[in-house]
Amino acid sequence: MKVLVVDDEPQIRRALRTSLEAHGYVVDTVGTGDEGVVAAAGTHPELVLLDLGLPDMDGTEVIRRIRAFSEVPIIVLSVRESQTDKVAALDAGADDYVTKPFGMEELLARSRAALRRRGTEEPTAPILMFGALQVDLARRLVTDDGEQVRLTPTEYGLLEALVTNPGKLLTHQWLLRRVWGQGYGTETTYLRTYVRALRKKLGDDASAPALIVTEPGVGYRWIAEPTG
Amino acid sequence: MRVTTERKDPRIDQISWRAVLVGLVSVACAALLALLTRGLGPGSSVAIFMLAVTIAAVSGGIWAGVIAAVLASLIGPVIEHPDLGLQFEQLRDVIAAVVFLAIAAVVGLVVGNAAAERRRATEREREARLLAYLSTKLLSGDVPDRVLDEFVDVLLDPFGLVACTVQVTLDGQTMAATATREDLERGGPSEIVPVVVASIPLGTLTAERPLRGRPFTKRERELLEAATRQAAVALDRARLDARARLAQLDAETNQLRAAMFSSVTHDLRTPLASIKAGVTSLLDESATLGEEQEHDLLLTILEETDRLNRLVGNILDLARIRAGALIPRRVPTAIDEVAEVVVARMRSRLGSVRLELQVAPDLPEIAADPVQLDQVLTNLLENAGRHSPSDATVRVQVGRTDAGVRVRVSDEGPGIPPEQREKVFEAFYRGREEPERPGSGLGLAIARAIVTAHDGRIWVEETTGGGTAVVFDLPIEEEVPA
Repeated sequence: MKVLVVDDEPQIRRALRTSLEAHGYVVDTVGTGDEGVVAAAGTHPELVLLDLGLPDMDGTEVIRRIRAFSEVPIIVLSVRESQTDKVAALDAGADDYVTKPFGMEELLARSRAALRRRGTEEPTAPILMFGALQVDLARRLVTDDGEQVRLTPTEYGLLEALVTNPGKLLTHQWLLRRVWGQGYGTETTYLRTYVRALRKKLGDDASAPALIVTEPGVGYRWIAEPTG
Repeated sequence: MRVTTERKDPRIDQISWRAVLVGLVSVACAALLALLTRGLGPGSSVAIFMLAVTIAAVSGGIWAGVIAAVLASLIGPVIEHPDLGLQFEQLRDVIAAVVFLAIAAVVGLVVGNAAAERRRATEREREARLLAYLSTKLLSGDVPDRVLDEFVDVLLDPFGLVACTVQVTLDGQTMAATATREDLERGGPSEIVPVVVASIPLGTLTAERPLRGRPFTKRERELLEAATRQAAVALDRARLDARARLAQLDAETNQLRAAMFSSVTHDLRTPLASIKAGVTSLLDESATLGEEQEHDLLLTILEETDRLNRLVGNILDLARIRAGALIPRRVPTAIDEVAEVVVARMRSRLGSVRLELQVAPDLPEIAADPVQLDQVLTNLLENAGRHSPSDATVRVQVGRTDAGVRVRVSDEGPGIPPEQREKVFEAFYRGREEPERPGSGLGLAIARAIVTAHDGRIWVEETTGGGTAVVFDLPIEEEVPA
């Protein structure tokens, strides 16, 4: 499994190389956005870890350039303060982000989720299982512990968007367009109302979430691991 | 306000067309009246002309009186004895002429005196008003630059100037201000007045009249000097005020810097020391560590790293506040979502302290920066956790107010005495009883700065159980400055 690390800090490159190699990844590191785009095109990595604060190029621009020729998963590494940059990066085509300083286990989990999604680009199984929760995508049927969970069409649409992208951070804009349609994108109140309703029906507690995690100002993430 | 021209003898007006006209008209009227009443007998015309001369002197000044007197002396005899033509035939006519002139002189002088007195009074009043205006305008505690600008501006009209420039050197710094009138041509008479405070020359004032303007009179020069003295005093005061403010700011900054230095040094070093100790033990090949001990060391390193990260975040925020760079990036934000996320994250960090979250239904979205609100709540929860005995509960309540949302974080700790409730929001403030507790004393100061930047309000209350509640209100809409 080949990973490309694009970060201008040698210490971070070294730490990431060591930790990732210890987990069996083959690691390539570069220090500028330009080199990053070239390496992404030349060495065909299966995952890109991209620092947003590069000296030569805006991180979002790097994502755009890579996206011009590759669908490789990109995870953005950024500092706490740049929430708008994160959203811009996600909207430009990044798959996820982790905030510096991050724990390796968090980065590895995100990487695995991103790689898994990429590996299952093929039609997903018609029935998804998350512990007791079962989502039958073909029959649009949701059951919890065998009991049917009654969802409105919009609630179901939202759930489907989430469960078919497990682990991925889905931005407000992306979810609104996917569930409500192309004309939407800023009506975050709708989204919140439906997420709240969905959580209630699925028995998920927002302050101790097991299914849906909120990223305030950015979006939502389905965190339950598929068990089916 | 315009300062009038000074004359050699203020009682005697210069001869003017108006004086001539008044003299002519009054004598003409008198002549007409005398012609009509000629039949009443000799001498009546003398009385009529006397009246005319008096009226002319009263209404037109001494020259009108004199002109009327001369005319009356010439015309009077002609009306009395038209057959004789223009000549003083009788002694009576000569006496009448002398009396007319005497009346004209006396009345004219009295009237002129009164007018000059009135004029002087108005002039004095104007000058007093100018100086008073200057002193209030200049001594209002402005900075020196503003004082200078005001000063030249104020002088322009009363002195009828086309340009007024002042240049001074204060504390080695040269400042200048100029006011000009665009509608007048330059190049008239000018006057240079020194700007002096406590016999130390600071600079000069240059006043310039428009092309073909009147030269400055002695009186105007004096007034200009008086005004300049006022400005110099104001300037000196403004300079001292600025100096005092700087000194005060300096003292405050130094105090803060000292507090920050000791606090930050301690708070940064402590986790660094733990981390370094942990890592060196792990690297030490001669040490024989059990698996559990190794795990303990690693956990310590992890916790201390997080602590360092939070501290650095707070220090950066403080630096942003001081630099005026803590500007919220407002987006529609659900405060309950932020609260949920922070509570979820803080659960593990608060150890044995229980966390309870109550959220009111149908909360409105607010225009806020979710990252900064996250920081506020994190700081409040950390603070509450720090002051909570183990197994106590920290409650987070999110509710509505008329104008927005209210968040209340309450603990079951020892509470804060009323007189300290505002102090906790000062940077580096710590309760007396807790000098050695972790936390830099920045959390609440930053929370207040962020809430204030969101046009909100944050304060400390007492809970019914004697603990502390930190409460903050945020408006729904960003306040549009009026």
